[in-house]
Amino acid sequence: MSTLHGIIFAYHAKSELGELVRHRTSASLPFCSRYRLIDLALSSLINAGVRDVGVIMQCDYQSLLDHLGSGKAWDLSRTSGGLHLLPPFGMAGLRTGEYRGSLEALSAMHLYLSEVNAEHIILCRGDLVSNVDLSAAVRRHLSTGADITEVCSAEPPAEENNCFLPDADGFSGRQLCHVHGRSEGVYSLEISVIRKRVLMELIGWARACGKISLHRDAYQHHLQNGGRICLYLHEGYAKRVSSVADYFQVNMDMLLPQNRACIFPAGRPVRTRGRAEVSTYYGEKARSENSLVANGCYIEGELENCILFSGVRVEKGVHLKNCILMQDAVVGQDASLSCVISDKDTVISSGVTLCGSPLLPLVIPKNTRL
Amino acid sequence: MKKQCVAMLLAGGQGSRLYALTQDVAKPCIPFGGKFRIIDFPLSNCANSGIDTVGVLTQYRPLLLNSYIGSGQAWDLDTHDGGVYILPPYQTAGEKGSWFSGTANAIYQNIGFIELFDPDTVLVLSGDHVYKMDYVPMIREHLAHQAACTISVLQVSMQDATRFGIMNVGEDGYICQFEEKPKHPKSDLASMGIYVFDWKKLRRYLIEDEADPASSKDFGKNIIPKMLAAGEKLWPYRFSGYWRDVGTIDSLWDANMDMLSPTLLNLFDESWPIRSGDPICPPHYTGQNARVSHSIVSEGCVIEGEVENSVLSSMACVGPGAHVEYSILMPGAVVEAGARVEYAIIGENAHVAARAHVGAPPDGTDAWGVATCGPGARIAEDACVPPHAMIYAETEETP
Repeated sequence: MSTLHGIIFAYHAKSELGELVRHRTSASLPFCSRYRLIDLALSSLINAGVRDVGVIMQCDYQSLLDHLGSGKAWDLSRTSGGLHLLPPFGMAGLRTGEYRGSLEALSAMHLYLSEVNAEHIILCRGDLVSNVDLSAAVRRHLSTGADITEVCSAEPPAEENNCFLPDADGFSGRQLCHVHGRSEGVYSLEISVIRKRVLMELIGWARACGKISLHRDAYQHHLQNGGRICLYLHEGYAKRVSSVADYFQVNMDMLLPQNRACIFPAGRPVRTRGRAEVSTYYGEKARSENSLVANGCYIEGELENCILFSGVRVEKGVHLKNCILMQDAVVGQDASLSCVISDKDTVISSGVTLCGSPLLPLVIPKNTRL
Repeated sequence: MKKQCVAMLLAGGQGSRLYALTQDVAKPCIPFGGKFRIIDFPLSNCANSGIDTVGVLTQYRPLLLNSYIGSGQAWDLDTHDGGVYILPPYQTAGEKGSWFSGTANAIYQNIGFIELFDPDTVLVLSGDHVYKMDYVPMIREHLAHQAACTISVLQVSMQDATRFGIMNVGEDGYICQFEEKPKHPKSDLASMGIYVFDWKKLRRYLIEDEADPASSKDFGKNIIPKMLAAGEKLWPYRFSGYWRDVGTIDSLWDANMDMLSPTLLNLFDESWPIRSGDPICPPHYTGQNARVSHSIVSEGCVIEGEVENSVLSSMACVGPGAHVEYSILMPGAVVEAGARVEYAIIGENAHVAARAHVGAPPDGTDAWGVATCGPGARIAEDACVPPHAMIYAETEETP
């Protein structure tokens, strides 16, 4: 018997992420040396005891499929329940093309959802960098008997947010949509615990009226009809990845111990697919300062404020500063890189010097030979 | 189901010469070379050689070993028609059952298991060797020479030969004599403790040996000499490459240090991957004032101090101002701020408190040796652990 079902929206691929999302969606962006962003949502769900999770995807989901596999890494390869991959079904009469909003994505999945045998559904974004204690959010949802409980943060997770104005009882009857910068109230992390019956009603309404956005349309409709939304305040790190600068920042943020403590708390481990790599080797002349390094790297040069994914090779005399090097990158002798994000399998030849800036990091696309 | 070859991995030994390190775990479970445990080597060699049926004979402290091996998924051995089978001693109807009394007895007690697969050959392996080896050419030579048993041998120096079981080879190339640790070796071919047997013959010898009350039920001491005496064909398979028995503190320390020279045993070789159970922890972090050189570092480590010529398993921590050199930190080992660890092995979850000093560089005297803190041992602040010391978990060294 399962009373909870998780849904992860993994179809986003913001154009501001440029080359980084050419072959993948935001949810499968590599993060913090060994993870993908979706690992955080998946781990938050399983750490809250959710055993059924649907992942809504739409375009360029090859990388996501490779990563998720059968769901075994998250204990979601189950005889009953487990991981459900939800690519677009392309049903007759339905508009195809990109989902314009999460409500439209849910509408497309309404048959799947109608068969879900759970009383409450947890909706999450796949591109949020946060380890949310969802079991606490669910406890609050159940104890207040709310129809919808929204996970919020006191700090804005992105440039543009939906905000809720809390009442004295911790519920909210007012939402401000698409607010830029700072605002009154609390900022939605776009994670909701919602009664399935209420969600199906909202989806029915959306299908009838052609509405597409969960927050701007459905929740607003719910509030305007006298409904209220319970708020659960998440404390700690929470940022959404919508641009190259965001991507660079969330990774660099992990170099600070207090941020790592929020993302990797002792009781709520972040699970990911293992890559079966050996331990990292540091050569005699290697130096590594304020850096995060995965297994399987071979380092003979110098690192400063870097994030290295598995299988990266840094040859002698190399100097890397403020760089993110994804899987299997090779940096040849005496190369010097600063504020560079190199995608998977890039090769940077000996002696090359490349410089970006933290505001505009230089992105080297997948498989590039420089 | 018919299998050409079944591997039997001897993993039940206590490893008493590792003292505190094997107080609570079997030797094959000892962490090695960063993220590995010793048993990863034979298991990966089997998987890479296409041998998908592996019986693991356990006896001494099997809990960690059993949970580590699990379904065998980490080594891709969790297939439908093969897999890793954990084989503890068991009771049979009408009998009391008994412990494995020797390596040969362990296989004898599992004749029934091997018969399930009706194999032509049985590969007998040890769970305490570090090496990369393709068993296929060995099995091929075994069949080509119609041997009853093929023993993998390594050429060693004549001085070292006194420490090994030595195979003397006749003019026809077959083994004519076996000498255990000879004082005056006649050959430099040392047994690596890796055997391929013709199963029908081995089965007969195991049953005969079991009936012999004088036998200590050991492959090296009993089965091989009996086969030789009976005129069976025993073929030496010459292996060249890195191979180490890591049964003592010194050899365990040496072999770990060897991993710092990737040319000795290339663990980065993608064509022969050594797989291991993956604890899935965050990447390792090197702090603002950290210095890491000529070392192996695993995921989950946090290094704020200095690490030189050392091997760090997952989740090991080195505090600010601490100094670690020529040492092995096993999973979860903690070296606190200002502590100094030299020429030492710090066991799993052992704790070296602030400013403590463990081990010292070699001073040329015979009294010197690698210092060892067993799993869970706690070294108090400012304490000093001399070289060659062996600290157990329940004892606490105070200043």
